Amino acid sequence: MPGLALEAVGHVYPGGVRALDGVDLRIELGERVALVGQNGSGKTTLVRHLNGLLRPTSGRVLHDEADVASATVARLARSVGLVFQDPDRQIFAGSVRAEVEFGPRNLGLGGAELAAAVDAALIAVGLAAEARTNPYDLGASRRKLLALASVLAMRTPVLVLDEPTTGQDLRGVATVRRVIDEAHAAGRTVIAVTHDMDFAASAFDRVVVMREGRIILDGPPASVFAESAWDVLRSTYLEPPLAATIGARLGLGATPTDAALLAALAGAA
Amino acid sequence: MAGPAALAVVAVLLPAAVARVLRRLLRTSLLLSLPIAISALLINLFFFPGGATLLFSLGPVHASAEGLAFATEVLARILTISGAITLFYLTTPASELVLDLEHRGVSPRIAFVALASVQTVPAMVERAATITAAQRARGLDTEGSLWRRLRGVVPLAGPMLLGSIADVEERSMALEARGFTRPGRRTLLWWPPDSGRQRLARWLLVAAVPSLIVARAAGWLEWLG
Amino acid sequence: MLALESVGYTYAGAGRPALHDVNLELQDGEVVGLVGASEAGKTTLCLVASGLAPRSMGGTLTGRLMLDGVDAAPLAIHQLGERVGIAFASAATQLSGVSGTVYEEVAFGPMNLGLPASDVIARTDRALAALRIGELAGRDPAHLSGGQQQLVAIAGLVALGPAHLVLDEPTAQLDPAGTAMVAEALVRLAADGASILVAEHKTDLLAGICARVVALDAGRILIDGPAADVLGDPRLPELGVVAPAARRLRRAARDVGLPAATLARLEEALA
Repeated sequence: MPGLALEAVGHVYPGGVRALDGVDLRIELGERVALVGQNGSGKTTLVRHLNGLLRPTSGRVLHDEADVASATVARLARSVGLVFQDPDRQIFAGSVRAEVEFGPRNLGLGGAELAAAVDAALIAVGLAAEARTNPYDLGASRRKLLALASVLAMRTPVLVLDEPTTGQDLRGVATVRRVIDEAHAAGRTVIAVTHDMDFAASAFDRVVVMREGRIILDGPPASVFAESAWDVLRSTYLEPPLAATIGARLGLGATPTDAALLAALAGAA
Repeated sequence: MAGPAALAVVAVLLPAAVARVLRRLLRTSLLLSLPIAISALLINLFFFPGGATLLFSLGPVHASAEGLAFATEVLARILTISGAITLFYLTTPASELVLDLEHRGVSPRIAFVALASVQTVPAMVERAATITAAQRARGLDTEGSLWRRLRGVVPLAGPMLLGSIADVEERSMALEARGFTRPGRRTLLWWPPDSGRQRLARWLLVAAVPSLIVARAAGWLEWLG
Repeated sequence: MLALESVGYTYAGAGRPALHDVNLELQDGEVVGLVGASEAGKTTLCLVASGLAPRSMGGTLTGRLMLDGVDAAPLAIHQLGERVGIAFASAATQLSGVSGTVYEEVAFGPMNLGLPASDVIARTDRALAALRIGELAGRDPAHLSGGQQQLVAIAGLVALGPAHLVLDEPTAQLDPAGTAMVAEALVRLAADGASILVAEHKTDLLAGICARVVALDAGRILIDGPAADVLGDPRLPELGVVAPAARRLRRAARDVGLPAATLARLEEALA
C-alpha cells in the first residue's frame, strides 16, 4: 500500500459544520509529512479519514489507488496506525505490556512475533523497564509515549501522530524524533499533526498548512517557511521558526531549521 | 368516551398549544406510550369481558365493539398521563428547575449534582466516541460479529471508567478551589420569576387532587365518563 | 506575597517525597516561570502553592505555605480561593459545566462565597474586563475555542479576587493563537498587581512574559533567578528543559565553531 491520496475530499459534520473543503493530498510511502494549522482548520478531521474513522461526504480516499470506502476501520488499521492526542482515551490495561499488546493482537499477531513487536516498541519509546508497571503509575507524558508504543507495535506501513510533542519535556521530544527517524529509516510513512513549527521544520520532509478546511501551503520546509510564504502563514496565526526569520533577516535565503541556518552562516562566512 | 377525551384536551393539549410545543408533545408522548398502548388495545379489543357485538375475527379470537370502545377510553387516559409528563419535560428547562429548587432552599451542592448529571452527558458521549475511535484505530473490530464486539467491552469501558474517575477528581479540585464546598447557601443572581397568579394556580391544582378523589368516590363525576 | 518555606510534600501512599525543601517567593506583580522535566514536581509544586495539596489531594505537607504573611495551614479550601487561584491545562474540566453563559461561569466562584449580589456582579464584571472577554459574556462556554475557554477559566479564578495565580501548563492544549491570548492575559494580570507562577514546557513563551524563572529537578529547586539568566543556563538540557529558540541557536552556533564575526552577525540579527 504505497501511497495515500485524498481526492477532492469534503467533510461536513452532522451539525452542518464543514470541516474539510475540497482537499487534494497525495502522500507517497516513506514520506515524513507535518500537518499544521490552527485548531479547527481540519487537521484532525483529515487524518481521521486516512484510516476510515471518518468517511468523506464528498470525494474519495485512496490507499494505493484503491478507494477505501468499503473497507472497515479494523482492516485499514493494518495499514494506517493512528496515535491519538490524549493517551487516557485509550489506556485500559493493567500493565504497560498488556496495553501495547492490544493493537498487534487485534491484527492477529501472537506468540513470539507478538512479543518481538511489543519489545521493540517498548524499547523504541524507552519504556522497556516499565513493562509491568500500571500505566496510571506513569506520568502523563510517559503515558503519551505508551500510546505511541501501542501503535508502533502494530508495525503499520503508515504511522499518524496527533500532537506527539505536546506536553513533552526535552527527553520526550527527543524520543518522538527518534521514533520518527527510525520509522522513516524502515521505510514507513510518518504523518504528524503538530503546533510546533520547529518540530515541523526539522523532523519532516514536507509541511502541509491548513486553514478552514483547505490546504493553503504544501511543500518542503524550506519553501513553506520561506519569506514569500510568511503572509500566508500569518493569515492563520502561525509563525515561521526563528531560524527562518533570522535567515531572511541576514539575507541567507530559506533556512527553516537551525542546522540550515548555521550551514548558511558557515558558507557565507 | 367524551370524558377522558375532554380531559386530555383541556389538561394537556391546550396548554401544549399555548406553549407552542404541541407537535413535539404529540410525537413524544405517542412514542412513550406506544408499547403500553398497543398491549392495552389488543387485550381490550379481543378479550373484553361482556363483549357481545362482534366486529371481526382473527382465527380463534374475536374483536368486540364494546372492547374497542373501552380500549379507546384506556388509550385516551394513557395518552393524557404521558402527555402531562411530556408537557412538564418540554416546558421546564432543567437549569431553571434546579435554580428554583435552590432558591427555595435545596443545598447548592445537591442542586449542582442534579444539573451536572444532565449537562455532562454531551461531554461523556463525546468522550465515549473518542475512546471508540482510538480503539478502532488499534484494530478493535466494532463492525464484525457479536462475539467480536463483546470482546470490545473492556477496551471501551475501561478508559471510559478510568477517564471519568480522573475527570471527576480534576473537576472536584477545580470546584473546591472556587469555593464550592463552602457550607451554606450561595448567592443566586437569577431565579425563575414567580407571580401571584402562578402561586394561586399551583395551590388550586394541589387542592384539586384530594377534592377530585372525594368527588369521584361520592359519585358526583359520573357524567365525565 | 506567596511564599513556600522549606516545603516538602509526599503524595498519599507514595514511598518518596515529590518535593524536598522548596523555598520560593512570589512578589506582587511578578510573573515567575517554572520549568523542569516531566515528573520533576512542577504540578506538585503548583498544587501545594494553591493549597489543594494536601487539602484536596491528601498526602503530607512539611514546611509552610505563607499567603501575604499568614500561614495558610488553618485555612480551608474554600477560603483559599480568595487568596490563590489555580488553573490547569484542561479548560474543559475547570469549567463548572452547569453554566449556560460565560457570565454565569465567571460568577460561579463569587456566587459560591455567598457575597451580596451587587458584589458578585462587580467582581464578575471586573474579571471579564481584566481578561478582555466582555464580548463573550453571553456565549455558551462549551462552544468556545480552547484559548477562549482558558481565558474564561482564568476569569473565573480572578473573580474570586486572589492576589496570587498559579497556572500548570495552561497552554499545553492550545494552538499558537490560543497560547498568545493566554500569555497576553497573564502579562496584564501581573501589571494589575497579581503575582503569577506559571509552569510550562514552552520556554519561548516564558521568555516573553517572565521576570524570573525557577527550575525544578527531582522535587528540588535547582535554579532560581532572572529569566534571561536561567533560560540561558547550560544545565537546562540535562534538566530535561528545552531552551528558548534563540538560546538553542546561539549555543549551536558556538558549538559548531563559527568565527567570531559570524557570531556577532547572528547576535545582531537575534536582537
